[in-house]
Amino acid sequence: MQNESLFVIMVSAILVNNFVLSRFLGICPFLGVSKQVETAFGMGMAVTFVMTLAGILTYFVQYFILVPLHYEFLQTVAFILVIASLVQFVEIVLQKMSPTLYQALGVFLPLITTNCAVLGLALLNIQYKFGLLQTVVHSFFAAIGFSLAIVLFAGIREKIEISDVPLPFKGFPVALITASLMSIAFLGFTGLV
Amino acid sequence: MKDIFKTGIILFIICAVAAFALAMTNEGTKDQIALQRQLANDAAKAAVLPSASSFEDLDEAQNAEVSEKFAPVAEGYIGYDADHNIVGYVFKSLPTGFGGAVEVVTGIDVEGTVTGMRMGNHQETPGLGARAKEPLFYEQYNGMSASDHIGVAKSNPTETDIQAITGATISSAAITSGVNASIDAYHFIMGN
Amino acid sequence: MNIKNLTNGLFKENPIFVQLLGMCPTLAVTTSAMNGVGMGLATTSVLVCSNMAISLLRKVIPAKVRIPAFIVVIATFVSIVGMVMEGFVPALFNALGLFIPLIVVNCIILARAESFASKNSIMDSMLDGLGMGLGFTIALTILGSVRELFGNGSIFGVSIFGAAYKPALIMILPPGAFLALGILLAIYNQAQMKKAR
Repeated sequence: MQNESLFVIMVSAILVNNFVLSRFLGICPFLGVSKQVETAFGMGMAVTFVMTLAGILTYFVQYFILVPLHYEFLQTVAFILVIASLVQFVEIVLQKMSPTLYQALGVFLPLITTNCAVLGLALLNIQYKFGLLQTVVHSFFAAIGFSLAIVLFAGIREKIEISDVPLPFKGFPVALITASLMSIAFLGFTGLV
Repeated sequence: MKDIFKTGIILFIICAVAAFALAMTNEGTKDQIALQRQLANDAAKAAVLPSASSFEDLDEAQNAEVSEKFAPVAEGYIGYDADHNIVGYVFKSLPTGFGGAVEVVTGIDVEGTVTGMRMGNHQETPGLGARAKEPLFYEQYNGMSASDHIGVAKSNPTETDIQAITGATISSAAITSGVNASIDAYHFIMGN
Repeated sequence: MNIKNLTNGLFKENPIFVQLLGMCPTLAVTTSAMNGVGMGLATTSVLVCSNMAISLLRKVIPAKVRIPAFIVVIATFVSIVGMVMEGFVPALFNALGLFIPLIVVNCIILARAESFASKNSIMDSMLDGLGMGLGFTIALTILGSVRELFGNGSIFGVSIFGAAYKPALIMILPPGAFLALGILLAIYNQAQMKKAR
């Protein structure tokens, strides 16, 4: 994995190993914040922002703090703390620097701490032994993959809302079956890399 | 101000207790984890080179050279029989499969025959790539000649091919690439 | 102490079928019944421990920093469970992989800490954690069994349909997870509606 080209990482992160549809990371926001395309897009942007930063930060925490000190067993605790503080920090900075952006993304930020896509990404980067540049590329494009899935999904759900669905399937069941069909479509990308 | 101070202290104490508890658990389970890994490793080595009764790591310089030149090969071991004659080599390689790195352990005896392959830790799809754990798949490698690379065929495999798992060509090819890299490393060590 | 806290999580407020919490591990690891049980029990042990610890600390933790404090407590127990599993059941640990550390961000655990354990006594919190955890385990096991049955023709590795059965691989692949859970939820809804009538 160390030598994989950045392009391969990019394609695989967006399409082949899509975080939501094939790795099952970030399902909660995927199902929870996907009733409208607009909010889904906001969530996607907020996640992209935090995930890219979190990927970079956890890289430094792992290789400059935990590994030299042989404290790898604190990895989970350290990473989740880094992510939680990062989210808080981003929230404060956005509030001060760019009120418009804060208005757009603010409501989604607290939800991101418990979005397993972020912690999952940080752990995957380490597991794959990515270098710094690969970490950045993988983090950013995995988040783009997440955004792509959630926005597409929201587009479909908007249509489902106004269509006639059998009563027991209303709400989540039909959403899950829709996700299943999307996942089948993404399976088609398997041979790409 | 006093409030912030108090809050900070409490958070600090919680973190300190947490870190201490983890350090204790780590201390307590470290040996057990190492033992489990060792057991799994030994079992795989014995399975792929049954004629050997004991194994030794390649010496450090040689190991570094092999893993440098023949990626994805990661580690090599020498297999000895009861009289301490070299009977073959075992290589651990980590090719990239469908779901990430796949641990492939390959045994090759001094006569130049592949004596076995096992898949170790992996993230392959259950029911597809994960079926490489089944004898039907891995026994195909037994007795293959190490004089040339092994091919992967979807159907009608020849003498030098293995039959890919249905629907898991990527996993089958990845595992075979690990075996082929091991074959290259073997020739390098044997000096021909 | 109230026994109702235990039974609540099992059916009436089942974390998966009713509250739809903790979806990521639910979908990801249920490729077989055994994985479902393993994941469920790992989560249950973390949930019981973290609920008890947080209930114990509920008067000490300042309201302002309760979320980070909860997260530290939860992450600690998750790491401990992970290390113990790696040491004693390595095969299961490897099968569940990434989703062991990800128990930390399982919404069920933080949700119970926030809405129950931080307001109730230790014993009640323990029962609540146990009930919710077992409810989670039951749901995961059902989902895992259904997927394994159709996708591999077996349950807990025991062949049910015999060798002639051509497995519907899609059930084990990612789409099958969404599909199986969607249909199970619809069946659950149908049953609830019948009861209501």
